[in-house]
Amino acid sequence: MLFWIVAALLTLAASLAVMLPLAGRTRADNPRDHDIEVYRDQLKELERDAARGLIGPAEAEEAKAEIGRRILRLAGPENADSARAGAKLPRMVAVAAVLAVPVIAWGVYAVTGSPALPGQPLSARLAEDPADSSLEELIARAEGHLVSNPEDGRGWDVLAPIYLRGGRFADSVSAYRNAIRLLGETPDRLAGLGEAQASAAGGLVTAEARASFERAMAADPANPKARFYLATALAQEGRLKEAGEAWRTMLSALPADNPWREAVQQAIAEADRRIAAADAPPAAGPSQSEIEAAQKMSPQDRAAMIEQMVAGLDQKLRENPRDPEGWMRLVRSYAMLGRTDAARDALARGLEALDGDSEDGRRLLALAASLGLPATE
Amino acid sequence: MIVETGHFALVLAFALALVQSVVPLVGARTGEARLMAAGGPVAIAGFALTALAFAALTAAYVQSDFSVANVWQNSHSLKPMLYKVTGTWGNHEGSMLLWVVILAFFGALVAVFGRNLPATLRANVLAVQGWIGAAFLLFVLATSNPFVRLEPAPFEGRDLNPILQDIGLAIHPPLLYLGYVGFSISFSFAVAALIEGRIDAAWARWVRPWTLAAWVFLTGGIAMGSYWAYYELGWGGFWFWDPVENASFMPWLAGTALLHSAIVMEKRSALKIWTILLAILTFSLSLLGTFLVRSGVLTSVHAFATDPTRGVFILGILVVFIGGSLALFALRAGSLTAGGLFHPISREGALVLNNLFLTTATATVLVGTLYPLVVEAISGDKISVGAPFFNLTFGPLMLPLLLLIPFGPLLAWKRGDVFAVAQRLMAAFGGALLAVLATLLLVDGASVFAALGIGIAVWMVLGALTDLAQKSALGAVPLGVAARRFAGLPRSVFGTALAHMGMGLSVLGIVATVAFEVEHITVMKPGETTEIAGRTLRFEGVAPVQGPNFTETQARFVLMQGGVSRGALISSKRIYTARQMPTTEAGILTRGLSQLYVSLGDETGDGGMVVRIWWKPLVTLIWLGGAVMMAGGAVSLTDRRLRVGAPSRRTRPSAVPSGAKA
Repeated sequence: MLFWIVAALLTLAASLAVMLPLAGRTRADNPRDHDIEVYRDQLKELERDAARGLIGPAEAEEAKAEIGRRILRLAGPENADSARAGAKLPRMVAVAAVLAVPVIAWGVYAVTGSPALPGQPLSARLAEDPADSSLEELIARAEGHLVSNPEDGRGWDVLAPIYLRGGRFADSVSAYRNAIRLLGETPDRLAGLGEAQASAAGGLVTAEARASFERAMAADPANPKARFYLATALAQEGRLKEAGEAWRTMLSALPADNPWREAVQQAIAEADRRIAAADAPPAAGPSQSEIEAAQKMSPQDRAAMIEQMVAGLDQKLRENPRDPEGWMRLVRSYAMLGRTDAARDALARGLEALDGDSEDGRRLLALAASLGLPATE
Repeated sequence: MIVETGHFALVLAFALALVQSVVPLVGARTGEARLMAAGGPVAIAGFALTALAFAALTAAYVQSDFSVANVWQNSHSLKPMLYKVTGTWGNHEGSMLLWVVILAFFGALVAVFGRNLPATLRANVLAVQGWIGAAFLLFVLATSNPFVRLEPAPFEGRDLNPILQDIGLAIHPPLLYLGYVGFSISFSFAVAALIEGRIDAAWARWVRPWTLAAWVFLTGGIAMGSYWAYYELGWGGFWFWDPVENASFMPWLAGTALLHSAIVMEKRSALKIWTILLAILTFSLSLLGTFLVRSGVLTSVHAFATDPTRGVFILGILVVFIGGSLALFALRAGSLTAGGLFHPISREGALVLNNLFLTTATATVLVGTLYPLVVEAISGDKISVGAPFFNLTFGPLMLPLLLLIPFGPLLAWKRGDVFAVAQRLMAAFGGALLAVLATLLLVDGASVFAALGIGIAVWMVLGALTDLAQKSALGAVPLGVAARRFAGLPRSVFGTALAHMGMGLSVLGIVATVAFEVEHITVMKPGETTEIAGRTLRFEGVAPVQGPNFTETQARFVLMQGGVSRGALISSKRIYTARQMPTTEAGILTRGLSQLYVSLGDETGDGGMVVRIWWKPLVTLIWLGGAVMMAGGAVSLTDRRLRVGAPSRRTRPSAVPSGAKA
């Protein structure tokens, strides 16, 4: 409120600075009087210079004559400028000028200003009880501390999961890294780092995140977060059965009151649902008889048969591209056959068909990443 | 509250600047006295509001209010109070705000001290000032608003660039801006004269003090910047022909020319058109400097942040103002009347010669500064034009000018006698010759060039003294009379002599440093000594020191001569915590006019340290000369003849004399 009063007073003062001279009376002066004054001064100075010998007597006379001629020229006819009195234009300009000040000022300030934000001097903020502060303020306070003491591992360790919760994933990754650098690796920090990395990638367990989880698992095979995410990685690659298996094993080992149970159960249900949905896929995998046949063949023939099957799948997908599972199988198949270019091409086509931002698209991308195919988009 | 009040005041100042750019102009065109009169109060109110905005930003810095993005980016709660205050303009947004404040300040000065100017001239000048102010306020508000807020506010800032955490930041930018922006007044007067199509007799009398004041500040700003770079960057150099340095040097050269041509115009009403052009060019070069430094075209410690929109915006301002004023000049110059006549050999002629040399030198520096940018823009090649180019072009141009300087003040107006003047300068010439011989004989390994350089410097100093001696008729009249005449000389005579002498002193410092400095790089361990320029330097040892926002390793040295201690110095390396940025703090020990300069390099691992040592003879004269030049300008400002009387004030003899107050 005080701000608005001050702003109003300032506007008033500024408007008065425009208004008062416009309302007052000013007599017009004659510019010639100014000129004559200057010439008179020049003459006096010339005399002083001549007295000091700065100018020769003959030249001084000449200069005096020059100045005299200028004075005479001034006495010539006036070019009746001041007689022009278009009274209308000045009045309009005056009104517009008085109006312009508040209109422009309030208009511009409405766009650029933040009138609702109070000033926040640091000393006043530090004097507040931290218990009254919001989470943002607590984070800001910790950040301030870490700017001055970047080697304080405890601070990073506290801040990292808070960032993660708050959705600041990139900050969380660097905070976890700092904590690990300064305080050493623990299964929890590694799993947290992996979670931050996966969250930063939009929920995908990237190769980088998986490496973090695997390190956490190596140190603590029972770490629930690492186990859960590693199984998620399997599911994201389309290896749903293996993922379901991993989750089930994990569930059986979890105590009854563990908070992870619910998430794991949901994940298992989701995996089962997708397996069921994939049972009758438009582009079916090799049938039992085909697999048996393949096992009896010579290696060359088997390779030829696989090539043929992959080509058939490729053909089917060209005709019916809306088949996420099919694309996954095709990309994996090409990658297994060592045909990286074809795999990359399939990936690109699949992403186009599935829309790279959709859930299926992201799963396909994750699969590609896990196969060592960089997304070329 | 404070921050938002500042923001609102800035917006209000923008609105007033728009009013100021239109209303007085319309008044002057229609002859409406009331519209013309509005310019003054509006300019004063505009200055008050921009100053309020600046004070609000400073308060935010002092209180470490990190809810202001600008404060958060450039400050730190642990910074010493001085640097919190100076940090206000140690960044792009704040420095542009300072630019605008100073511009408004000069506008207000014209409003206050310009009461006895012809009303139309005053109105037009204020309107042109209003255009510049409105353009730059819009630039600040649109692309560089220092009042942008952060929610939630961080609890700690990112700190100021450590190189800028120095007393130099308190002095260099304000002085430089007072100089740069001060030239806007001459520019406004020039454009106002072109708009009116006539030059009042008072014009030159008005322009000269403003130019002089701006020149004094710019001289100080450049000298301070040079000394700052010298002691802070740790390279021991005082001038690098860096584009940013050139950006401030060009307006100085053009401004110096303007100063001299304005004398002719004021005294003899000659060189009117030329003076107008110079006034436009000088401020144009100031704007160009602002563009080069602020747009991020050049990378240097001055380019705080690069943002293409800012560059384009300033370029737009540049094109409109320079192009517009030059077009106006082309349109109107023909209708201006030329003034007094003079012979080529006269004071006027000497000043014209001075102008020719100075403007050519300005053009040289301009080419050397812009050429690399143009090449990069066209072909993408990065080339650098450095000292060799300027030594080959700028040096030869300056040499004859420096030789001729002592002649100028001794020549008579309208028609001079070179031989008589040369005769009077015989003593100075003899002294200079003596200095050359003494240098060759007494200094080991002195080259002829170095000796001649010293001779030129001595010639200039003695020439300036000769001028004073001649004008007080020393030797021709009894001593007491000469002393009385000396005391009675106009201030401007002292100003001229001091300025020219200061120039000579700077040249002396530059020649002595360049020709006779000794550099020595060595590895030293605590307790060891090394020899430099006939002196012994002992490395006492290192000690860690914790500063407010940095940690420091201090190395202590003692200078010995003939077994006696001649003073100690501390050279150090710092790490600023917030930015994790290392800096070197050179240790400097001043002995007389010379300095010992010690800069630390890396540690060698076995307890030793790389140490760079320079002995710089007479180096302080470079900047002391600048200070003497400033003093000359200041003395000249107090001269009686700059106080032009006004017709309407005649009846009121107690009225404040104008102009000189600036």
